[in-house]
Amino acid sequence: MTEISVRDLTKRFGAARGVEELTFDVPSGQVTGFLGPNGAGKTTTLRVLLGLVRPTSGEALIGGRRYADLERPRRVVGALLEATGFHPGRRARDHLRILAATTGVPVSRVDEVLELVELAGHAERRVGGYSLGMRQRLGLASALLGDPQVLVLDEPANGLDPAGMAWLRGMLRRLAAEGRTVLVSSHVLSEVAQTVDHVVIVHEGRLRYAGPLDGLGDDSLEDAFLRLTGPVPDPAGGAPQRPGGTAPAAAR
Amino acid sequence: MPTLIANELLKLRTTRAPWLLAAGGPLLTLLGVTGLFASGADTGKADTATRAVAHAGMVSLLALVLGILAVAGEYRHKTITDTYLATPRRARVVAAKLVVYTGLGALLGVACAAVALPATAVGYAAKGASLDWGDTGVWRTLAGGVVWNAAFAAIGVGVGALVRNLAGAVSVALAWIALVEGLVGQLVGGFARWLPFAGGRAVGNLAPDAGDLLPQWGAAAVLVGYAAAFAAAAVSTTVRRDIT
Repeated sequence: MTEISVRDLTKRFGAARGVEELTFDVPSGQVTGFLGPNGAGKTTTLRVLLGLVRPTSGEALIGGRRYADLERPRRVVGALLEATGFHPGRRARDHLRILAATTGVPVSRVDEVLELVELAGHAERRVGGYSLGMRQRLGLASALLGDPQVLVLDEPANGLDPAGMAWLRGMLRRLAAEGRTVLVSSHVLSEVAQTVDHVVIVHEGRLRYAGPLDGLGDDSLEDAFLRLTGPVPDPAGGAPQRPGGTAPAAAR
Repeated sequence: MPTLIANELLKLRTTRAPWLLAAGGPLLTLLGVTGLFASGADTGKADTATRAVAHAGMVSLLALVLGILAVAGEYRHKTITDTYLATPRRARVVAAKLVVYTGLGALLGVACAAVALPATAVGYAAKGASLDWGDTGVWRTLAGGVVWNAAFAAIGVGVGALVRNLAGAVSVALAWIALVEGLVGQLVGGFARWLPFAGGRAVGNLAPDAGDLLPQWGAAAVLVGYAAAFAAAAVSTTVRRDIT
């Protein structure tokens, strides 16, 4: 049981909108794209899921449990968030050694993940000298350190060159094929369309669609995305779209 | 908890700032003691040795900055996200940092004492006098310096956890010591001796002639109280706060 389930999740930051009554599931064994324009509430949702932000109401569960209640959370869930950072003066291997101790894996695992993200040759360098793409790989290495069944990645393609993108795509597909739950937020739709099986689309804090990619109909992902995240037809408060599985959301 | 403590030590060892601060402390102590004798300290006066070794306590300003780095430094570099992802019980992270940095502050105090004492002996010898090694005032001053360093490191952890912005936390702490406490002290009169920097100076026997300081033991208790209060405030806000 490693599915992610979000139920009636609401988070308000003072008067600012966070997310409103969000409900969706993320199945295991597939790559799920978490899409929405900037400010749609993607990052807020992921942060609640990871126990970094307290929801106003509702819940986000991993295998039926809250993140904070997991015994060794990093063994279950690997996360890469935009706000994840590195001390510029610290060497990459040291960064991972620190995480290995609290993740609960032997130090030998550090070299394995460095190999996996193709950073083994740069492990002794200080992270301050890393390119954006290398930092992103190091972030992925951190997420993979605990060999987790669930991966939560916020914009993992940021800073990757085309070869890196292709590499990431292969990695995500492979991880999902192993039965893991992979949730990837992104705004690069063309990239997502080639990678994901399942999509969750949010807009202005509300769910617009949750279901298989091919449930979006015949138009391209980009067309569907623009349709679902365009101006809301009934701003006076029409009911938010429910996760309809295969049902396309807005009027066509 | 042992894992978290070992982890904090590993974090410290793998960056350069703690090493620089640790090296700076004894160096500043040496400078201070040497300067006192170079500017013509009178070895005939009873309190000269105490004044010389009291420089070990002044290094507590570095201990304070070191403590601030513990939490605010993690916010600065956004490593706090990974830290709390690995240990969602954030209170335990803050507790581990308090243990490690208090110990480190004490260690810094010991290192500076180990420099201050021989430097003072050399200062006396250079003036043809000899340091009285049985002077209890000297030993109490050195012990007080260790306590001052440990307490200020712990207070720094609390300040960093409360303010989180590294530059802000360091500015607030140093401004308090250099400026604000003096201004507040004028307003509150006799209560001024209970303020943190006055407490530190009393513990470290800095300016022992000043009659308006607390006795050393009382001041040590006050510092421990401040450290505990900051720790409690740090833990309670850290547990509830959203990490964005």
